[in-house]
This record gives sequence, structure tokens and C-alpha cells, in this order.
Amino acid sequence: MALPPIVLIALFIGFPILLALGFSLGFTGGLNHTISVIGQNVHEAQGASPTFGAYGDLFVDRRFLGDLGVTVIVTLVSTTAVVVLATGIGLYLKFRGGVLGKILSGLAVVPLFIPVVIASWAILGFYSADGFLRSVFALAGLEFPVWSFSMVTVIIGSVWTSLPFATLLVTSGLQAVPQAMIDAARDAGASFWRVVTSVVVPMAGVPIIIATTFTAIGILGSFTVPYFTGPNSPNMLGVDMSNYFSAFNQPQQAVVMAFVVFIIASGIAAVYVWANFRSAKESGAV
Amino acid sequence: MTTNQTLSSSAPGAVAAEAAASTPTRRSGGLDVRGLHKVLGGRTIIDSLDMTVQPGELVSLLGPSGCGKTTTLRMIAGFLAPDAGSIKVGDREVVHLGPEQRPSAMVFQNYALWPHMTVAKNVGFPLKLRKAPKLSKSVIAERVEAALALVNLVHHKDSRPARISGGEQQRTALARALVQEPELLLLDEPLSNLDAKLRVKVREDIREIQQRLGITTLIVTHDQEEAMSMSDRIAVMNQGRIEQFSTPSELYSAPATEFVATFIGSLNRLEGRVEDGRVVGGEGVVGIRPEDVVFVEDTDGGVNGARHSAVDGLAATVERVVPRGHFAELYLRREDAELRAFVTGALPSVGARGYARIEKWLDFADGKLVRQEVAQ
Repeated sequence: MALPPIVLIALFIGFPILLALGFSLGFTGGLNHTISVIGQNVHEAQGASPTFGAYGDLFVDRRFLGDLGVTVIVTLVSTTAVVVLATGIGLYLKFRGGVLGKILSGLAVVPLFIPVVIASWAILGFYSADGFLRSVFALAGLEFPVWSFSMVTVIIGSVWTSLPFATLLVTSGLQAVPQAMIDAARDAGASFWRVVTSVVVPMAGVPIIIATTFTAIGILGSFTVPYFTGPNSPNMLGVDMSNYFSAFNQPQQAVVMAFVVFIIASGIAAVYVWANFRSAKESGAV
Repeated sequence: MTTNQTLSSSAPGAVAAEAAASTPTRRSGGLDVRGLHKVLGGRTIIDSLDMTVQPGELVSLLGPSGCGKTTTLRMIAGFLAPDAGSIKVGDREVVHLGPEQRPSAMVFQNYALWPHMTVAKNVGFPLKLRKAPKLSKSVIAERVEAALALVNLVHHKDSRPARISGGEQQRTALARALVQEPELLLLDEPLSNLDAKLRVKVREDIREIQQRLGITTLIVTHDQEEAMSMSDRIAVMNQGRIEQFSTPSELYSAPATEFVATFIGSLNRLEGRVEDGRVVGGEGVVGIRPEDVVFVEDTDGGVNGARHSAVDGLAATVERVVPRGHFAELYLRREDAELRAFVTGALPSVGARGYARIEKWLDFADGKLVRQEVAQ
């Protein structure tokens, strides 16, 4: 029963990963042959022993290290902002509801229906030197900083694109907490914040963690937002990978970057698996 | 029920239960509800309700779905604000306080145990929240142990709620309420999720613990058997009002209204009145308990028919026999009416002929009890 999907994954995902791993370690024969001939600065393995030359190239390169740092920081800051916003909206909807709650949760989902490339251009224009925000401030005789082509717009864009899905996940998780659980906590003497921190958020912990991991992996591997709205350097690894692959014609280094991102994403994915396991354990399934 | 005990000064383990049961401290406060009124969605849910529960008393709010019993309980617990009225626990007016400030503790219908906490943490949570005085971890642990000992759950203290049975979850919820040493214990349909056998066991447990601690208790239930077997008094509710507030036996033997008579126990409800052992049409309603209908099977083929009819009532035919365990319910057809009767011992078969006599009946006019009659 499970065989066809396993074969499919092995063939179209597993095999290319192994091929890329081999290429990053200098195995340039077979299916890696063509790209190693075209590419520049390709390190080749000596027989069966791999070479870490391409890894070495990058980890002494201040440009790469800067990009790695920026990628991690943007991912952390944007993910935190997304989860805080989504949880805030979800809590407002849960405890207050009303028109404002519905408007907030509705607005948060709007970016889902706007293509990222269009949103990126809009964000760029809004914060650019001659953009809307600076023009409005200028009318009042004030000077607003130029945020376009900076990491600020990358973070704003990342939050914009990731917020809808996270809000949907977190809001439904919070809505699923039975009212009786909240009533029981209040009956036990808990204040509003205590109800939120000790009962509601822990009970919606699994969807919140899942939303966090999805958001973090999405932002970590993002390309459109940093490509359009970010600076030339340092920028996120998605853009850097593209530059190394096409502009600099260094495919081996690009693949190494992909592996670095892959390892970070695997760490985040481990949290996702742990969250699912915890959920199953709480419900008594394992 | 003259003394009240506390869970606070107990030692861990089984000894704790004894300590809990033997340390008299403060007395549980009574409950006094006056003029409670609630309108929801344009409909009057609770209509000027008055009720007094004496300290240490166990009272059931009994009624059909939608009668307002849970709404009343939620207003007393503080989850719902009444439109008018006062709620006093002991001498203290609590109507303006939130549930977290009221001296009551509630056991919820689905237990509402927090799944991410162990049994001990669920029970200890209310104590962790105490501010004045703030309790040390060791005191909390002791009190949790004592509360769990009281409900025989010490062995499950490190289990998650999902890992224990429904009955154990129910007892955990009870321990979580009792550990707060509330002046008033509120239970919302506490047994409705348990199977029939466990329900009997847990209701006996609740009653026993309630009597031991002398804690004023209000239970919401739609199960008359549950209310009858546990309560000191029962408030029968209908359409937002209390129809009758009496002891279980009084409710059964002298129901104040036709609704109470129909709701509590079984009743043959017939239009008209009883005259010379015969139901005759007319104004008013007559209520006859099935156990007050006596059926004697005609075993001599009608030879002594005249004698039987004089002594044993009117001729009747058995139309249906429904076994109910230690007794059976007979559906009888007499010339004047159809009657249900409870019989024990040898059961007549369907179609059997005999005589049915009405021993006692209740006369109602405009839904209210006018008099109780006994056959001469």
C-alpha cells in the first residue's frame, strides 16, 4: 500500500538529493558530469574519498557567512513576529470575538490571495525613497527612513506572506480549546493571562509549534521576497544560491548552500515531528 | 453533617485521607439565591428564581433539557451574569464577582481536565494560583496527595487524563474541586458520561465524600434516579422556575404540580376523575402511580367474576408485559381507561384477563395538586 509513494519520493526527491550530496563532495562522474564540466571552481574527489573543498570555499567566504547570518536572523525575527501576530489575532477572536475579531482574522488571510511577486513590488514601492510612506511624512515636514532594498522590507514581506497560513493554523488550534477547559481554569482562580499561558496556549501548543515550523522553513527557503525587496548583499541564502548557480556559475557552491539550508530545515522539521509525537502522546495514541 | 473538614493539614498517602476526614475546621456556607432572572435571545430562561440551600446540604436541580438548570448553575458559579437577583454564599454577596473570586468550585460535565497536565498537576493547579497566602510546593504536594487519597487516585497521580478511565477522570475533577476547600461545591451533570454501573458507584462515592466533608453541594441533573438517591432535597425545575423544592420522598408522594408528578417516577395521567374505582371523564386530571394499580389475574375462568369485580376492581386485559428486572410493567385495558401497573412475582401473559383496582390517586386542577385520594 505504502510502496508507490515511497518509490515516488525515492525517485524524485531521494535520488536527486543523493546526487547533489555526491556533487557537493566532489563526485563529478555519472549524472553530475555535465554540470561539473560547465561549472567553474569545481572541486573533484580523489577516487572514493570525498573532498570538502566547496564547503571550505564557502565557510571562509565572508559574503557567505554574512548571508547565512542574515538568513538565520530574518527567519528568527519574521517567524517570531508571525507567531506572535497569529496568536494575538487567534486569542482576540477566541476571547472577544465580535466584529473586530472577524475583521482582523479576515484581513490576516488576505495576503494568501495576492501573488508574492506583486506584494513584493507593492512593499518595495510603499517603503522606497520616493514611496508612499516617505511622501506622506514629507508632507508633514518629516523624513521617514528608506526601508526599500533593506532587511527591514525583507522581514515585512516575509511576515506578510507567512501570516495567513499561520493565522489559519493557530486560530483553528485556539478555537479548538473547549470552553469548559477555560471555565475550569477560571473556576480554579486563574486570571485572564494565567488562563492564556497555562491552559489555552499549551493546549493549542501543537498547532502553534506546527505553524512555527512551517513558517520558519518557508522563510528560510524564501526567494521572491528577498530577491525583490532585499539588498544586494548581505541577502538571504535563497538569493545567494541563485547568484552562485547562474550569475557566478559555481553550481557546486550553490549545492553546498542548499545543504546548509537543508540541515537547518531538518532541525526545524525535527521540532515538527516532536510536536506531533507530543500531540499523539497527550491523546493517549502512543 | 454538623462538622466540616479540610484537606489542608494532611500528611501524604493513605494517612492523608484519614487526616483530611478527621480535621474539623470551618463550616461550609449555605447558598441563598433571590430573584434570579435571566433573559437570553429574547426568551426568559430563568424567571425570578429563589432558592436556599442549607450549610452542608446536598441539593439537586432536576429538570428536563432546556429548563434552565445549567444556566442557574453557571450563574451561581459566575460564568454567566444574571440580569437581576442576588446570590449569597454564606453571608457574602457574590453576584458581582467573577468565577475566580467566588468561594465555589465546579465539577464540569465533561470533567474539563487539562490534557497537558498530569492528574496531580490538574488537582494542584488551583492551589498554585493561590496568592494570599502563597502556598509552598511541599504544602501543595501534601494537599494534592490528600485530595487524591480522598478519591482513591494516588496511584494515578503521574498519569495524564487521557490514560485513565472515565470514572477516574470524574474523580480527578472532583479532587480538583475539593482541594480548593470551597464553601460551595457545584456539579454539572457529573455522572452523565459514565456507564450505568459506574454511575451508581460514583454517585455513592460523591455522596459519601460530601457527607464526610459536610460541604454544601448543588448538583445539576436530568436523571431523577440520580437526584432521588443522592439528594437531601431536590428542586424540580420547569421553564425557568422551580416547580417544587422538597425532599425526594415528599416529591414522590406529594407532588405539588402535575409536571412534578409526571417528571418524577411513572404516572398514569388521565383526563377526568376517579369515582367508585372507575375513571370518569370531566374537568381536571387524575394521576395514578403504576404501583397503585393492583392487578389480579382471573384464574378460575370467570366463575367468581362477580366477587372479583367487587373486591378487585374492573375487568382488565393484559395488552403488553415489559420486564424491568425485579418487577414488570403491565399495560392493562379496562373499559374506562388504559392503565399501567407494576407487578412483582409471577407474570401474567399477554391477553390474560383479570381485574384491576386503583388504590391511590392524585387529583390535579389547573396543573396543581388538589388532593390525594385513597380507595375505601
